[in-house]
Amino acid sequence: MKNLSILHYALKLSLLLIFIPASPQTLFSQIIVSETGSITFIQEAVDLAAPGDTIEVESGTYKEWNIEIRKPLTLIGIDRPLVDGEGEGTIFSIHADDVTLKGFDIRRTGRSYVRDYAAILIVESTRFLIEDNRLDDVFFGIYLAETTGGVVRSNRIEAYDLREASSGNGIHLWNSKEATIEGNFITGMRDGIYVEFGEGMKINGNTSEANNRYGLHYMFSDGGIYQRNTFRKNGAGVAVMYSENVDMSHNLFEHNWGTSSYGLLLKDIRNSTIEYNRFYRNTIAIYSESSSNVMIRRNDLELNGWAVNIKSSSARNHFEENNFIENSFDVRTDSPRNNNHFERNYWSAYEGYDLDRDGIGDVPYRPVTLFSMVTERSPESLILMRSMFVRILNTAERIAPVLTPKTLVDEKPKMTRIQ
Amino acid sequence: MWVRRHKVILIVIAVIMTACEPKPQPVELGSDQCSYCRMMITDREFASQVLNNQGRSFKFDSVECMAAYDLSADETTEFHSLWVPDFKDPETWLPSEEAIYLKSKTLRSPMGLNLTAYSTRESAEEMKQEYGGEIVSYAEVKELVKREWLNGSGNNHGSHNHH
Repeated sequence: MKNLSILHYALKLSLLLIFIPASPQTLFSQIIVSETGSITFIQEAVDLAAPGDTIEVESGTYKEWNIEIRKPLTLIGIDRPLVDGEGEGTIFSIHADDVTLKGFDIRRTGRSYVRDYAAILIVESTRFLIEDNRLDDVFFGIYLAETTGGVVRSNRIEAYDLREASSGNGIHLWNSKEATIEGNFITGMRDGIYVEFGEGMKINGNTSEANNRYGLHYMFSDGGIYQRNTFRKNGAGVAVMYSENVDMSHNLFEHNWGTSSYGLLLKDIRNSTIEYNRFYRNTIAIYSESSSNVMIRRNDLELNGWAVNIKSSSARNHFEENNFIENSFDVRTDSPRNNNHFERNYWSAYEGYDLDRDGIGDVPYRPVTLFSMVTERSPESLILMRSMFVRILNTAERIAPVLTPKTLVDEKPKMTRIQ
Repeated sequence: MWVRRHKVILIVIAVIMTACEPKPQPVELGSDQCSYCRMMITDREFASQVLNNQGRSFKFDSVECMAAYDLSADETTEFHSLWVPDFKDPETWLPSEEAIYLKSKTLRSPMGLNLTAYSTRESAEEMKQEYGGEIVSYAEVKELVKREWLNGSGNNHGSHNHH
């Protein structure tokens, strides 16, 4: 009898041991979607799933659009299933917190003049993870509206053969806060990454190239960071407008050529930093209008048409310890007035000397040539660029500045390139 | 008699005179820049323009940028005319004062004030039925731009970042 009760307890205990650790798994179930199984549509699985469930979508083609997710779910693509929207509308539409979408190929959203159809739309959500998806032939790629936090990582977004008017943005952030956008590759869209009315974005390590308009377009957004991104061959480069406290560092801006193309366009930017970036072969590396208190430091500006074009509406900006190397023009401005500060930069065009050998040139450097002022007024005169006449003009002006800004001068030009 | 004899000359003069009248210029999408915000213009259905008396065209990526330019021009500046595109037929230019505007959150414009222009009130009403929003005149558009963009510290656009 006693033995029996011990056995009974032992049995109960072992049952407990088996079932307690097992219970969390029974809480969240796993649903499998496949072309040949009992569930063949992703929407069907989403409807069946309980909050917190995981849906595994097996390799295959799923012709679906407007897949609505209104509960926390994890959707995983196994061996890259293809979701084909057949040009009908938005494909994944997420309206819940804690949603993960990973490992999908998504193709053919709808296109419209009035509706922003996207491959992945996320609205008023937080703690989402959109990772390792490949988007192809989409109108908008990943569209975040009124979200907080969340991560968009290592996705590939592309579109092609399209007129600008009919292409949307790769990663579009509207009225969103503190999203992390990292390691994505975007090409062929209108703007690679677009941020409007954002706050505290972290945009790091992305490559945005050959987009129709801007590689990154950043508007009305305060307190963001973008670092270690590559912006290459975009129609108009990168535009950062009407924002403050933006930290832009360690980025590469290269090969942005065209009459209205810039490495970096700054319009109405305040209290921001631009550090350790490389600007290589752009029509205008940095263009600044109505911007103030921007620290531009330790950047390399090499082989650009104009390294800096700063409008007189810009004030109290500091250019320190930058390398200006072999640019056609170092600095251009539109007025003899200047309220910006240049100090301790290295200018490859500097012809001064350093008799006291302290590494600082003994005569100041004037980066604005008279000819660059002339081209500001009449761009056609560029044809005279390498002529003797222009050389004489510039030399005369350098000796006795009349038209170029007297205060736009680097009093301490470095003799050697800053490492 | 004179008229008959010199018909050709009169026609030539008439043609020259009409040619002098400034006309809206075509907008080069993907290459023209907004004269106010400097953005590249990419949407024909929002691209607006101002013509000065010399016939020079200043192009804008949105109705709101044109209105801001209009507002910030000094008093001595006289424009010849201001033009906005018909949202339903963007190839057609409408004089800014005659157009009817819809401000709708659903129809997002390049600079965030979400203004679209229509040739008639009925046409604007129709769009309002479908997309919501409110119908405004050009004078009200200017008031809106003044309130949202130009008031506050200088060109402070940062103040309207919450909808």
